[in-house]
Amino acid sequence: MDLDLALQTFILESRELLEDMENALLNAEQAGGHESVHAIFRAAHTIKGSAGLFGLDHIVAFTHVVESLLDDVRDGKLAMTDELIVLLLSCCDHLSGMINAIEAGQTDPDPEMQAAGAPLLVQLRAHMGVMDDGHGAAPAASALVTKPDHPGVERIEEQGGGSSDAWHLSLRFGPDVLRDGMDPLSFIRYLGQIGRIVGIVTLTDAIPAADKMDPETCYLGFEIALETDADKASIEGVFEFVADSCTLRILPPRTRIEEYVRLIRELPEQKAMLGEMLVRCGVITQRELDNALHAQAQAGATPAATPPLGAVLVGQGAAEPAIVEAALTKQKQSVETTKPAESRSIRVDADKLDLLINLVGELIIVGASANLIARQVRNSELLECTSMLSDLVEQVRDSALQLRMVKIGATFNRFQRVVHDVAREIGKDIGLAVSGEDTELDKTVVEKIGDPLTHLVRNAIDHGIEPAEVRAERGKPLRGTVRLNAFHDSGSIVIEVSDDGGGLNRDRIFAKAVERGLVEPDRKMSDTEIYGLIFEPGFSTAEKITNLSGRGVGMDVVKKNITALRGTVSVDSAPGLGTTVTVRLPLTLAIIDGFLVGLGDSTFVVPLDMIDECIEFASEAGHDYTNLRGQVLPFIRLRDLFGVDTPPPRRESIVVVKHAGHRVGLVVDSLQGEFQTVIKPLGRMFSQLRCISGSTILGNGEVALILDVPAIVGQGSGITAEVPQLAA
Amino acid sequence: MTAVAHVSRNAVAASAAEDSQQFLTFMLGGEVFAIGILAIKEIIEYAGLTTVPLMPECVRGVINLRGAVVPVMDLAARFGRPATQIGKRTAIVIVEIDADGEQQVVGVMVDAVNAVIDIAPADIEKAPQFGARIRSEFISGMGKVNGKFVILLNTDQVLSVSELEAMAGVSNLATAEN
Amino acid sequence: MSTGHVAIDGELNIYRAADLKTLLQGELARSNVLEVDLAGVTEVDSAGLQVLMLAKQTARAENRELRLVGHSPAVLEVFELLDLGAWFGDALVIGPRAA
Repeated sequence: MDLDLALQTFILESRELLEDMENALLNAEQAGGHESVHAIFRAAHTIKGSAGLFGLDHIVAFTHVVESLLDDVRDGKLAMTDELIVLLLSCCDHLSGMINAIEAGQTDPDPEMQAAGAPLLVQLRAHMGVMDDGHGAAPAASALVTKPDHPGVERIEEQGGGSSDAWHLSLRFGPDVLRDGMDPLSFIRYLGQIGRIVGIVTLTDAIPAADKMDPETCYLGFEIALETDADKASIEGVFEFVADSCTLRILPPRTRIEEYVRLIRELPEQKAMLGEMLVRCGVITQRELDNALHAQAQAGATPAATPPLGAVLVGQGAAEPAIVEAALTKQKQSVETTKPAESRSIRVDADKLDLLINLVGELIIVGASANLIARQVRNSELLECTSMLSDLVEQVRDSALQLRMVKIGATFNRFQRVVHDVAREIGKDIGLAVSGEDTELDKTVVEKIGDPLTHLVRNAIDHGIEPAEVRAERGKPLRGTVRLNAFHDSGSIVIEVSDDGGGLNRDRIFAKAVERGLVEPDRKMSDTEIYGLIFEPGFSTAEKITNLSGRGVGMDVVKKNITALRGTVSVDSAPGLGTTVTVRLPLTLAIIDGFLVGLGDSTFVVPLDMIDECIEFASEAGHDYTNLRGQVLPFIRLRDLFGVDTPPPRRESIVVVKHAGHRVGLVVDSLQGEFQTVIKPLGRMFSQLRCISGSTILGNGEVALILDVPAIVGQGSGITAEVPQLAA
Repeated sequence: MTAVAHVSRNAVAASAAEDSQQFLTFMLGGEVFAIGILAIKEIIEYAGLTTVPLMPECVRGVINLRGAVVPVMDLAARFGRPATQIGKRTAIVIVEIDADGEQQVVGVMVDAVNAVIDIAPADIEKAPQFGARIRSEFISGMGKVNGKFVILLNTDQVLSVSELEAMAGVSNLATAEN
Repeated sequence: MSTGHVAIDGELNIYRAADLKTLLQGELARSNVLEVDLAGVTEVDSAGLQVLMLAKQTARAENRELRLVGHSPAVLEVFELLDLGAWFGDALVIGPRAA
């Protein structure tokens, strides 16, 4: 196994898990849900397990304490208070720091880092210690296991409670047992009459919280070791009256290993830890378990499906391998099944996905060729077949593309933490409202949009939202709101970052721009144009340069990043009410539904989702606009724009496209119908090419260029979603 | 598009012993030029090209090379001469160049392809300061072949992606301001 | 730190389980430490036991303390049968068994 690769995966996964943990913690603050607690526990538990695989003991040790505390929260023994949430958030950060150190190549603990973690551990233990009624310092161990220094336990141990000569009973009473007039206690007493109970563990996991607990429902289960001369039938006979409503498993003394294995598999508890289970079954004692845990932490462990604890136990001779194996499978299952929908996803290498999409693209191209040939050959059977083929290929294409689409919600949720921390840092009370989390976009775009969005959000917090006093004066709620919204609009994804702060100061911006020499003082600009000035390099009107923004390097970088994604950004503002920054990005599909148009000798592709309709060409004399059902439709002659010099056809056509709420016509030579194919990027040489966004290969092998409609619209008519170029 | 020739790398190995390099010679506007064969992937007939609007003259367009869209340069235009006229022997030489660490495949239009020849290092002279009527950085050396000089081209410079990218930027900006 | 006291007399069984649950949960909410005197308990069944267990669980979840004291013979018998001494964590005075 390539250790480096595995370690990289560990780092990636741990980061994701820490993110999950953080989100769940922030959610717990609001919703206080059971689900959040489970999510938090799962994250910590998984990190601990994985860290153990790599022998990252310092991480295991730290996470172990966190996990123990979370276990108590999960069992309802500890409440998730605000204080606890803040503590756990700090633990998340500490773990993050440790993961970063690992990534930097430092797999041994750093003394400074250990020192930073120590106070956290103290606090964690303090929280748990409050409920420590003498149950010992290892909360992960079963609290139900008898302690050596208790009188009750001593007595039983004196009697030499080895399980090898005893029967093992696993007993779970049904919920209605009490209502039916039975009492589990009497059954157990009766057991005591046919033999000697040498070990008994009462299981109370099933008792819910007080508000849900029904006093007449039975929640108890027992694991019992019984020495007796009676045979199995007699033992079963003891429970004859409740046989229907409870589950009973009996294993004879010196039972074959397979039986124990089966027992473990059938144990219903979802939360059983391996150690607890083995102890419960009497396969090992608590002391052996503790030794094994210690040895595990020392030794590091074997990878793959077998968690190390089992291996260590077997190594020490404390447990039979087959039993351990079954317990491990059971544990893995229980951990996996506690994850709801999440476990149904798998991690896929992005390169493999890209390869798949390329292949699908090729498939589409070849399919189009086949279709074309079939039509030319005029063989109806062949044509039918290729049509069906095209349909199937289209379905494959859609599925493949979906693989790359991710919901923007995950990105938005990351900002909860940003807002939480930043607002606290600068002393403002700010909340984040998020909508449109289900809006999907391509994975590569998601990755690249994070930084620009972060800057926009920080900006909104830092400069947008006014200090509390000012807000009070203005009669606004003291808590400022930053809002993130996303939705699809004609082939693009639109992301809005807005705040209900003071809005942009139009005059101050203009003045600053004049001062910086960006604009002539007497230039007439619309409000939108003035607001757009904030994206110019070197521009910033922040009076104080804070830690976050205000150094004047932010907004222009944001714009550059977004432009690099072939997107646009614009700003709108209402003084006193707030500001909204709108980012528009292409959905960047690798495969495009297009409409072919002819121009000169070439064929071009217009993205289908930008097209409203196609009409015959007609124009108002001498002008570049036409009458479309009573409305003025401006158009652009692509022949002129592209310098096509072949003679035009007798009748040209207009493709009506819509972009950013405007409708514009594109004059072309001919209309050639719908066509779907894969986008082939044009390479760096063409990166500055404004009106073409890519190329594609037609069924006949020719290359067709894909029109960048927003750019064309911007070029031709001056109606643009972007800020126009300023005087140099 | 049929491949007229696939440059054989084995030939390189054979001549390595003699320390001479192999070059593909071709005609451009009546002159003979050469490119080292290590950069050459294949040579194809000229057969249809898709023009890309708003690009500088030297970028003739793009072609479909087995599913990949490859740009095609007109070297004559690149050297500031009138555009290449398509003739019977016009060919496209597919070259792989290094563009800032990335491998790029570019096609080069030539009037006709000649032979692959060996030129010993002793027969290669430095590029002249002037007089060749093309930019000196395009020339990697002057090869003596049969008593005549053949200009050996520096493909990384001639086909410099960053330069072409910038040129495209200029021509697009010019259009924007119209 | 306020300590509450409550004593349970008589039967700690299914017939009184609901009432006892309400009583214990209520008393628990009122103080940080609750001492439950079991000296007067004459009978314990599983339902009653569950109510005690629930009280202990609730106490832990809310950072309070539940102490069981004066375990009557009936209580002791059940605790021994099920080996619950450690679970509840209180000191058990194991005296001679009552008949």
